Amino acid sequence: MRRQPVGLWIAAVAGYAFLYVPLVIVVVYSFNNSRLNAEWVGFTLDWYDRLFHNEEMLVAAGNSLLIALVASVVATAFGTMAGVAMSRYRLWLLPVLVLTPIAIPEILMGVSLLIFFVLLNFTLGLVSVMLAHIAFCIGFVAIVVRSRLAGMDESLTEAARDCGATPFEAFRYVTLPLIMPGVIAGALMAFTLSIDDFVITFFTAGAGTVTLPLQIYSMIKIAVTPEVNAVSTLLMLLTLALIIIASRLSPSLLSAHEEKS
Amino acid sequence: MTVPARASGRLGKWLVSGPPLLYLLFFFAIPTLIMVLASFRTPGEFGGLTPLVDETGAIDLNVDSYARFLTESVYAQVFLKSVWYALLTTLSCLALAYPLAALIARSPKQYRNLLLLLVILPFWSNFLIRIYAWMIILGPQAALARGVNAVLGGLGQEPVPLLFSSFAVLVCLVYVHLPFMVLPLYANLEKHDQALLDAAQDLGASAWQRFWRITFPLSLPGVYAGAALVFIPALGMFAIPDILGGPDDSLIGNVIKQQFLETRDWPFGSVLSIVLTVAALLLAGLAAWVGRGNLGTPSSAGEARA
Amino acid sequence: MKRLVLLLASLLIASPAGAAKDEFHLYNWNNYLAPETVKRFEEFCKCAVVQTYYSDNEELLAKLAAGAKGYDMYVPTSNAAQALIKGGRLKPVDKAQLTNLRNIDPAYLNTPFDPDNKYSVPYAMSTTIIGYNDEKIRELGLPTDTWAVIFDPRHLEKIKGRVTVLDSANELFAAALKYLGYSANDVDPKHWDEAVAVIKKAKPYWAAFNASSYIKELTVGNIWLVHGYSNDIFQANLDAQAAGRKFRILQGMPKEGAVLAVDNMVIDKSAPRPDLALKFMNFMLEGKNSAELTNLIGSGNPNTDAVKYIKPELLKNPAIFPDKAVQAKLEQLQDLTGAQRRLRNKLWTGIKAGR
Repeated sequence: MRRQPVGLWIAAVAGYAFLYVPLVIVVVYSFNNSRLNAEWVGFTLDWYDRLFHNEEMLVAAGNSLLIALVASVVATAFGTMAGVAMSRYRLWLLPVLVLTPIAIPEILMGVSLLIFFVLLNFTLGLVSVMLAHIAFCIGFVAIVVRSRLAGMDESLTEAARDCGATPFEAFRYVTLPLIMPGVIAGALMAFTLSIDDFVITFFTAGAGTVTLPLQIYSMIKIAVTPEVNAVSTLLMLLTLALIIIASRLSPSLLSAHEEKS
Repeated sequence: MTVPARASGRLGKWLVSGPPLLYLLFFFAIPTLIMVLASFRTPGEFGGLTPLVDETGAIDLNVDSYARFLTESVYAQVFLKSVWYALLTTLSCLALAYPLAALIARSPKQYRNLLLLLVILPFWSNFLIRIYAWMIILGPQAALARGVNAVLGGLGQEPVPLLFSSFAVLVCLVYVHLPFMVLPLYANLEKHDQALLDAAQDLGASAWQRFWRITFPLSLPGVYAGAALVFIPALGMFAIPDILGGPDDSLIGNVIKQQFLETRDWPFGSVLSIVLTVAALLLAGLAAWVGRGNLGTPSSAGEARA
Repeated sequence: MKRLVLLLASLLIASPAGAAKDEFHLYNWNNYLAPETVKRFEEFCKCAVVQTYYSDNEELLAKLAAGAKGYDMYVPTSNAAQALIKGGRLKPVDKAQLTNLRNIDPAYLNTPFDPDNKYSVPYAMSTTIIGYNDEKIRELGLPTDTWAVIFDPRHLEKIKGRVTVLDSANELFAAALKYLGYSANDVDPKHWDEAVAVIKKAKPYWAAFNASSYIKELTVGNIWLVHGYSNDIFQANLDAQAAGRKFRILQGMPKEGAVLAVDNMVIDKSAPRPDLALKFMNFMLEGKNSAELTNLIGSGNPNTDAVKYIKPELLKNPAIFPDKAVQAKLEQLQDLTGAQRRLRNKLWTGIKAGR
């Protein structure tokens, strides 16, 4: 790695510190011997023990993970298509449809989707939540992919087509690797948005559907106990593990294009 | 951007833009139009909306809620405060995220995805407990507040609460939105050619000049993307002021939430939401239009007219 | 890539399609039903209790108003129950099956919003009072039996930045109205303006409008006085003792009176299993089951039969079991009309916008 200015290093490390100090507190407090998330009292593994017997919380965590996985995969697919389309063609409707879900207050979107599902007589449940999540995640992916494509050289794709590649092949072997960092960035954002969403999930969840944010926010007025810290810590580690496993299963999935020589 | 002049060009356009378009039309546009229609209706006495067509067959549509927004200025005031907070948040995020994204983009290839993952990892823990962690950090008994107030005391000033204040709200707004600035910036910075910078250095440019004349202009699409993904959601935030805001820190997101919950005035809530959304889109459009002139490489200013 | 897709697909297929067992869908406040009670009911009815949670009456109302279905029972506070009844969303209760209804103290039956208990049955209650750090407040010599300690700048000066009030227009207006000597349900706009003036005068001394994290801050000692719910304050004291603090968190019942919140069991109009809901209602009307919740969270209990199962120290607590004199000054909040709600929101927004 070329020598970067010292100022850059300091600023970047400060950035990581800013991101991680609260997280360290979250993890450390999962071992806190106090019901409140307010100050350190003593060490205990109680909360992890209670978590493993708390079926509701575990089911909620599982649901959240499932919804986030499905929603982020689908939203990334749609979002990438939208980003590419917006970058290549003159469209007016798609950019509006893509940008507005980001701007619209969540509570409006939640209520409107609920009314919509009820009108269609669609049973609320995990699927209704997934559909809702996909809707608001597409925009984030699309914008990132589009900005990645901005200023990018279309002549490479043209050349591929001239050499006889079908549009699909040109996309798969030329465009996609070029935009892959944008796609990954978008997918990460979509996953993050989905796994932590409360308002829209609240309105579109069924009578027996619980996700982790729903469970946790309902505790907000009584006490958000360290059990929540415990489940969050474990969920983070689990997700990290899943991603590492996924990247081992399909090494080409996450790699960017060839290093510029 | 040139459109490939082939027979498959038009088909390609629909194949690529079709699926997301249809999905969003069905699961977003239609539900939202229902609520846009609601903004012209009358709130139900006990909640929800009064029926669109009443017993006499007359259609109940009016602009009462819009009139209310225009005449009761307190709502516009809260709205402007929210714009200000969102602006501050966006600029702070930009300042904090840029070095982070730049470092990740310039690190060796095999570490990049890991470093990126490390940025977003904290955000897979629950939002509430991350905010609670900030309450601990900013609490009056913690080191930070004590340090700041010791300094203030030394200067003869009154102690200042860090928690339950605008400062706390801004810090958390920045914290919560930071990854959404880092990721788009990274996606853009990653494709920058180091050779350009090397050439500039050989020609005698200082680090600052290399950044300001080459890197930053090239990264503008990423900056605008990140700014949009931070500013727009930050405008509608309500949870952070609710949990650790001071008595004056009510934002438009809180007011909108109240319309749907305590006041049960969905039409007015829709009106406020529409104003917020339209304003956000206009600002984003404005930024994009201004940015058009600087899009892409410094030499492709002409190309950017596309 | 293919392997990933297969893995995801298998997860989706494997997720339970919802066994067609006897399920009772209860939409309740979190931590508002003791786990032991749930288990015992499941054995009693040979069914599964599926609980989901909300944390605010208004969230419940909004979700139901948008058309959500699938719940058998929910537990709204009286004013929310009032809105539901007027909106025709509830199923009448078959009192013949509620053999334990006689256990409820008649003072809590036959309310103005549900005469003859056609739709609702009282479940548990709480009061909105003052909670305080006894050490600090004693040091400062402040009163704890009047709303003045929250509204009067002479008292507030001593605790500036150490007081929080609830982030609820209904609750804060009620407290201000009571402080001014009016009823908590007063709807005269002139009285509301007076209340707004009182609130704005006191606001600079308050640390925050907070309904979610104030208990935490009280227990830790960052905040010394709160306008809050009796169960929460009760719990805060337990937490403070558990953390080994030197101070206690005590409850102060203002002499001007306070808001009483009674939560009621109601059945949804389109409940899938109203029979299970009725069974649950009758089950919770048994003193033993009702007492379990009180013992767990310190909530008030309208069930006379529960008295013999409740811990003695709770029975002696006047905030949980107010005597007749205090009861006379407690008021349940009534639901406001649409126009009143809008006016209140305009005033509330003005207060919070710092105008």
